[in-house]
Amino acid sequence: MSFKEAIESGKFVITAEVGPPKGTDITTMIHDMHILKGKIDAVNVTDNQSAVMRICSLAVCKIAMEQGLEPILQMTCRDRNRIGLQSDLLGASVLGIHNVLCMTGDHVTAGDQKGSKSVYDIESVQLLQVVDSLNKGKDMHGNELKGATSFYQGAVVTPEANPLEPQLMKFEKKVRVGANFFQTQAIYDIEKFKSFMAFARKSNTKIMAGLVVLKSVGMANFLNNNVPGIKVPPELIAELKAAGKEKALDTGLNITARHIKQLKDEKICDGVHIMAIGMEDKVPEILQRAGLL
Amino acid sequence: MIISKRKSHEDLMKSFKKYKSFFLIGCSECASLCGTGDVAAMKTMQEELEQEGKTVTGMMVPKTGCQTLGTKIELKKDKEACESAEAIVVMSCGAGTQSGVEIFPDKPVYPSNDTLFLGNMTRFQMFDERCSLCGECIIDQTGGICPITNCPKGLLNGPCGGMKDGNCEVSSEIKCAWVRIYERQKKVNELDKMNEILPPKDWSKKQNPHAMARQDKDKDKKEKKA
Ligand code: SF4
Ligand code: SF4
Repeated sequence: MSFKEAIESGKFVITAEVGPPKGTDITTMIHDMHILKGKIDAVNVTDNQSAVMRICSLAVCKIAMEQGLEPILQMTCRDRNRIGLQSDLLGASVLGIHNVLCMTGDHVTAGDQKGSKSVYDIESVQLLQVVDSLNKGKDMHGNELKGATSFYQGAVVTPEANPLEPQLMKFEKKVRVGANFFQTQAIYDIEKFKSFMAFARKSNTKIMAGLVVLKSVGMANFLNNNVPGIKVPPELIAELKAAGKEKALDTGLNITARHIKQLKDEKICDGVHIMAIGMEDKVPEILQRAGLL
Repeated sequence: MIISKRKSHEDLMKSFKKYKSFFLIGCSECASLCGTGDVAAMKTMQEELEQEGKTVTGMMVPKTGCQTLGTKIELKKDKEACESAEAIVVMSCGAGTQSGVEIFPDKPVYPSNDTLFLGNMTRFQMFDERCSLCGECIIDQTGGICPITNCPKGLLNGPCGGMKDGNCEVSSEIKCAWVRIYERQKKVNELDKMNEILPPKDWSKKQNPHAMARQDKDKDKKEKKA
């Protein structure tokens, strides 16, 4: 079953993430892909994440397919103008990549090519419109395509943005222009997430909760202080602290597994997106602990 | 107004290296308000050049440096001083400098400033960028706050995921433009506008180099002739 068929059928779907490496040595990445194969519904391939230059998402999506994984092409608007984006979308389509996640993209100031010129010719809402138009056989300026695409397009949302209302208004715009599914920014407070879901359920779209594995107390504090829209509640930090340094990661894996189980058992959302950030090999273990493998 | 900032002494001396004598041209408008093209700035430049063993043959502050014709007429009285200089230094914006290039077809003309942005003066010599001259104004849709300029990504449909506690991803010193727009739209009772999807910008409107004659100018001329 494809990712689209799975999520549309009501199955609780699981996606993970692969970050293309910086350089041509892809052995670790291939190794991680092997570990993920058969255990998840699809894998996101990030697009020069944090504005750090790496192998392009498109090439790695193709490799993921060769390794037996269904890819979700992450596409940011930072590095390509509308010609580049549309052209890459057509390219993805002919390579058999049919899931795309439309995002704005971190600003170049975050990355390792600071003098570069940001593009943002179009942005995430408009990119979703572009995908919709390519699916209907026309480019964004209305020119006929010889052969349409058939993308299943998704977007991102930050359920704990502060202030929240402008973010929710943008979420609704994304739904209106055809976002079939959302992967959220990392969430840690399930009760708060439920109130977001109460809002999101008014829209006809699928929601996957974003989960980032906590490795240590330090990491939790870092997320709280530096990463927009992420709030690790004090109870979880206390839990990590109580476990002690050596067992912190193990506790972090438990927390993620526990959250997956609750989200699934209580039918809170339609799936989870696990961001293991460098620990992709731990994903099967998390799924086992959540009772999903 | 056009905001400019003087280049460093080292950079200037490097670019002036070949020449010994200079004529300085300032500007009484933006560059004076920025303190980069007024008499005081020119005096400082003169001292710096003299310290390096160079000479200044004269200086002049035109009314509006980017008004090429006017500046050319104003410079007539300095004809000799200009002629005796090996190079011209223009202490205004990049546009003023290129007026100089047009006025002096046979002489090297150098800028002393970096030209930064179109700015609002919020307090004396404190400038904020509010408009980046996109060629098709859309701030009727965004509560009069320009997201193309005030959002580092120029987003048109709401805040990005990088917004943190109301501040911008790019710098915690600046407020997220879309949070500002949201707050303003709420205040003026136009929050419904934030639900409208703004289409991609037509960047052909910003295609440089621009040239424009006032729309009624040709008509006026024709009428006069008739
Ligand atoms: S939209 Fe912004 S950049 Fe464009 S003209 Fe209006 S204020 Fe200037
Ligand atoms: S935080 Fe706000 S102002 Fe900054 S880039 Fe994102 S949307 Fe633009």
